[in-house]
Amino acid sequence: MKKELIELRVNGRARELAIEPSALLLDILRNELQLTGSKRGCDDSSCGACTVLVNGVAMMSCTLLAASCEGQEITTVEGVSEHGALAAIQKAYGDWGGAQCGYCTPGFMMTVKSLLAENPNPSEAEVRAALSSNLCRCTGYSQMYEAIRSAIAAEQQGLVAK
Amino acid sequence: MNDFSIIGKPIAMIDAAEKTTGAGKYTDDLSVPGMLIGKILHSPYPHARIKRIDTNRAEKYDGVVAVVVGKDAPNPYGILPVGHDEHALALDKVRYVGDNVACVVAVSESIAEKALELIDIEYEVLPAYFDPEESMKAQSDLIHDSKPQNVEKDYHHVFGDPDKGFAEADQIAEARFIANEVTHAAMEPHSTLASFELDPHTGKPGRLTVWSSTQVPYYLQHKLSLVLEMPMSQTRVIKPLVGGGFGGKSEVIPLEIIAAVAARKAKAPVKITYTREEVFWAHRGRPRTIIDLKTGVTSDGRITAVKARVVQDGGAYCSYGVVTILYSGALLGALYDIPNIQYDGYRVLTNKPACGAMRGHGTVNVRFAFESQLDELAAKIGMDPAKIRQSNLLQTPCITVNGLRVQSYGLPECIEKTVERSGWKARKGKLPKGRGLGIACSHYVSGAANSIIRSDMPHSTVNIKIDRDGGVVVYTGASEIGQGSDTMTAQIAAEVLGGSLARVRVIAADTDLTPIDIGSYSSRVTFMAGNATLRAATEVKKLIAAAAARKMGCEIEELIFRDDAIFRKGGTESGASESAQTSRGPDGRGRPSPHGSTESDRLTQSHGAELPTVSGHVEGQILRGSLQQKRKEEGPKNSMTFEEAVVAAIDFHGALTGTGSYAPPPEARGGKHKGAGVGPSPAYSYSAQVAEVSVDEETGEVTVHKVWAAHDCGRALNPVSVEGQIIGSVWMGMGQALTEEMVWKDGMLMNAGLLEYRSPSSVESPAVEPIIVESIDPEGPFGAKECSEGSLAATIPAIANAIFDAVGVRLHESPFTPERVLAALRAKKNAKALNLTEGVDPTSPIRFREHGGSLCFNGKGPERHALDPSRRETPSVAGSAD
Amino acid sequence: MSLPEFKLLRPRTTEEAVRHLREHTSNVRVLAGGTDLIPSMRQKLFEPGHVLDLRGITAMRGIRPQADGGAEIGALTTLREIERSDFLRQHYPVLAEAAATVASPVLRNMGTIGGNICLDTRCLWYNQSLAWRKGCGFCIKKDGDLCHVAPGGMKCWAVFSGDTPPALLCLNAEIEIVSAGGTRRVALRDFYTGLGDNYRKLQPNELVTRIFLPAEAAGYCGVYRKLRVRGSIDYPLAGVAVVIKRSNGHVADARIGITAVNPAPLLVKEARDLLVGKAVDEALAEAVGDVAAKTAKPLTTSALTPEYRREMIRVFTKRAVLAAAAN
Repeated sequence: MKKELIELRVNGRARELAIEPSALLLDILRNELQLTGSKRGCDDSSCGACTVLVNGVAMMSCTLLAASCEGQEITTVEGVSEHGALAAIQKAYGDWGGAQCGYCTPGFMMTVKSLLAENPNPSEAEVRAALSSNLCRCTGYSQMYEAIRSAIAAEQQGLVAK
Repeated sequence: MNDFSIIGKPIAMIDAAEKTTGAGKYTDDLSVPGMLIGKILHSPYPHARIKRIDTNRAEKYDGVVAVVVGKDAPNPYGILPVGHDEHALALDKVRYVGDNVACVVAVSESIAEKALELIDIEYEVLPAYFDPEESMKAQSDLIHDSKPQNVEKDYHHVFGDPDKGFAEADQIAEARFIANEVTHAAMEPHSTLASFELDPHTGKPGRLTVWSSTQVPYYLQHKLSLVLEMPMSQTRVIKPLVGGGFGGKSEVIPLEIIAAVAARKAKAPVKITYTREEVFWAHRGRPRTIIDLKTGVTSDGRITAVKARVVQDGGAYCSYGVVTILYSGALLGALYDIPNIQYDGYRVLTNKPACGAMRGHGTVNVRFAFESQLDELAAKIGMDPAKIRQSNLLQTPCITVNGLRVQSYGLPECIEKTVERSGWKARKGKLPKGRGLGIACSHYVSGAANSIIRSDMPHSTVNIKIDRDGGVVVYTGASEIGQGSDTMTAQIAAEVLGGSLARVRVIAADTDLTPIDIGSYSSRVTFMAGNATLRAATEVKKLIAAAAARKMGCEIEELIFRDDAIFRKGGTESGASESAQTSRGPDGRGRPSPHGSTESDRLTQSHGAELPTVSGHVEGQILRGSLQQKRKEEGPKNSMTFEEAVVAAIDFHGALTGTGSYAPPPEARGGKHKGAGVGPSPAYSYSAQVAEVSVDEETGEVTVHKVWAAHDCGRALNPVSVEGQIIGSVWMGMGQALTEEMVWKDGMLMNAGLLEYRSPSSVESPAVEPIIVESIDPEGPFGAKECSEGSLAATIPAIANAIFDAVGVRLHESPFTPERVLAALRAKKNAKALNLTEGVDPTSPIRFREHGGSLCFNGKGPERHALDPSRRETPSVAGSAD
Repeated sequence: MSLPEFKLLRPRTTEEAVRHLREHTSNVRVLAGGTDLIPSMRQKLFEPGHVLDLRGITAMRGIRPQADGGAEIGALTTLREIERSDFLRQHYPVLAEAAATVASPVLRNMGTIGGNICLDTRCLWYNQSLAWRKGCGFCIKKDGDLCHVAPGGMKCWAVFSGDTPPALLCLNAEIEIVSAGGTRRVALRDFYTGLGDNYRKLQPNELVTRIFLPAEAAGYCGVYRKLRVRGSIDYPLAGVAVVIKRSNGHVADARIGITAVNPAPLLVKEARDLLVGKAVDEALAEAVGDVAAKTAKPLTTSALTPEYRREMIRVFTKRAVLAAAAN
């Protein structure tokens, strides 16, 4: 099928790309933009390893056509680090064992980022519900909760310091 | 408190930032110039002979570079030397739906997929076997001609005198347990990239490099060399980050060979990444297991004898099967003191994907049966279920009746701690109706004492290099798969050398660079690669110590390596020590200790910014060549920085390198009977768990509220990782207990995806309280043993026993789906006789959960496909448009 | 698994969309949230020449309370918006509750109410890859001529697995269907055929654009109960929606809808007569559960056994009736 020229805004940068209309956002991110942080773990939109933010809303990039994201602001895991340093949630996932094999981690980063953007101080039940979009096969999720708690505490301390 | 500065502290894994930022590269994230994509054609039949393959149309399709078939790589292989029954692509027969038939290499995935449809194959469909007990009756149309009755292997072991044991018993329980098939479902689908270099001397394809998602890069190197008929020295395997294994990547998976064969034929680099469905077909998971178990106890709770007949539905190839069936018997021993054991194990072939090694390899299903039956016997003799376990402890050190050497044995403390933390004594039997507590124990090897391929080779070797920059580079063949193997190695090296963690770089799992290590399986890495690291680091340390002692004018024995410096014992610790700090909490924050790991001194990995400034200064001077000047100024002193000592040692010895290796001691290698090689380990981990569940008696739904899991890991080198492994094991056990099951219908896997194969989500995952028990093994590195697998097996029976406590029904088949639980509840109440576990759909004569029957498969797949008008149109073939 | 090749049509207005549909009637699929269509296209269940992507039609989004007390919902409104709408939670709680159980939070960010209504029927023999389906010789819903679930007949039994339609049925919802030829409005209960393959009365040139919730259904107590194995991600294996309006402790009106146990979501016809005029107690709820279970005809299209799923329709209905009456 003939390729079409589209402009994608990814992590704050505009990129012009020639893509097939049937190309999925995940494949374009990984293969055309070399943003391989977003992962493919399933083929039936169930695992969440490919989660990105589209205009701030968490979505599965394996289930979106790249062409239909034209003009929208896409944030991938590569856009989570702040000012060249780990974001609080990234640091906390490392410290608290929230990531083991790490394959699902980028997806969780995006899910947690969108959760905390909407709800800066979620209850445990709210965290559990939010994380249920993503599958992890290593951690049993428990250490993720500790990581998220600690990241929230770190953010709050940061706010106070500022 | 111990006196360690690096180990025993909860630290982030050294590759954590790579993972949380997405910067880390897994195999499918790699690409090389000119790389092509491979796609595999799979068999639509469970059992058929290939009469003809015609790849002509596919080869001509625009964008296709090569089509690979079985005869392109006819050498058989398999992970076990006794099980070389696989081919990269089927030669003459296919043996399960999903078996590998051909591979198309093309410029894109979609073109390769389309070309697959253009391969014409003529099959002769054969009768297929789906149930192991039926399969064992087979007289004709065997799955492998060399395996009569489709039995891969059977073993018959008798230890002690079981008949006498049962005669001495006051109570005997006997039952059939069934554990249905589960799979690893690691989040990363398998992926392999293969590339040949052109040899500058011959001008022809020479060395092969393979990047692959594997737990066993060296076995892969070996099998590649076997199938491709290339010297191992010309074959390099590199393991990038691996997105989980759990045993599913612990042997050579077809795509790994196919990619290399395809790259050879296509004369270009080829990457193959499985779809999730292909991951399910590649499988190698835990086999459906039928366990006929009989146990006898005395009225005071002593186990007198155990008899187990185990039949495993192994699928179409051997894989690890012979080892699995042996583990199932061998690990009846080494948990409790059992004087008499009879074991009859059958590993049976069926026309389904091959089962292999999965977390808790071989032990899990039998442990479910055993711990359930022990619970039943406790009830029969009126004994507390925790007490009956405490009544059968081993007196260690000892050698069990089946020849297993047990030294460190933390089981008593594990039981004690879980009982205490869960409030067992106060709460057991006193919870509201529908809620209950259950206890169970398990154990696992810390690596196999005998390797798969018999040789005198060490199981792990580690090299360490330290150069003038003061950097410590550890070369290890051990495979990081997310369990923290690289971090463990770095920690041990840093601890021994007294250096900071930031100083250590780990180069791992690259057959060109790193010394051989047999892989990440059977929970061997911490024990074996850890010991090898310890030895290598100790060797290098000796060299540094000799130089430092000379400089300081003291004896080697007087030196202390710590905090990035070397001190003379009793000397004033000036200079280096001020800047070298190791004990800090992150952001000044201590670690709360919800699970009893009391460390408030969580260690920061100091990358760059926090390196001692004095080191940088000294380093700068040295590198600028003011060394002679500096030496003159130096007199004897009481401490040296790590860099100073390294430079002194290099001046003295030349390059600093050390090698350490580990082979299990002969005493740990087991008995002499046939099959005695599997089961022995240098050390065993122990686990005891209490699960709290509630059961909805109207729906049969089981909710796990909490699991208290005590695990004896010898010593916790990194408590945050150990706890993560315990929680992960318990959680995966819960998946097998409640929701996970591969569902088959006439050899078709009905749930080959993460939507229908239900690995638990965060919502129903329980709180797990990990409790670390440290028995300090005499041979483990700093006393450490395994922590990643042993806990899994206890979870399933702990939940089963808790269900019994809650509602009084005993589940004999896993997973305990709501329909199975409800059926058991109905049976108990003699209520409305509803058979809830078999499809009773009036319009359908076929049972949904079909395991039984040697069904002749009248497949009509491709024929039907060809008949369908909507599909008859073939995609455009190159040239046809002209 | 890559998607089949297609031309992507990206209209900005409904008019533009139906024009495209008219032009490509024989060879087009409509893409809303994509959470079902994209995986299905990967499996080559659909290989359309054109895909009509509705994401750009902003006019088709939003929940608009009406002057008469009813509401109008744009078909592209996400399930997440419905779940979180204060208006719906207050006036049509059964819909908000049902929407909140669909799949997972991220999928609800993508999935739309229109998509949930139009959701393709599902079956373990159908929702599989092309390679898999070759192994079973295909099925009557796609590429084959045999139903593996009921091999005796020539009928497709694929099961309707949307969570919101039983709630919408309870609310007497209507939907607006637009084509180049005009606009029609139908009661949702008349939208489904009861067949597994040709499951809805929607022509290939038609588009579901709006959902209407009548004013008289506002304020009913509502409960949705869903059987699934995991607490998230899963499609329903059985689902029951109950709405009850009470006056003076007695049921003034009630409706019960069930899903995931038949090729269509269905209202349980006898339920209203059983409930109206009575005070709800355990025995009455049991009786209602029994009639709901009779309406359910689950087959081996899904995980868990049909018998169990029917039993759960009974239990869940009983519980939902008690819960709705206790509100």
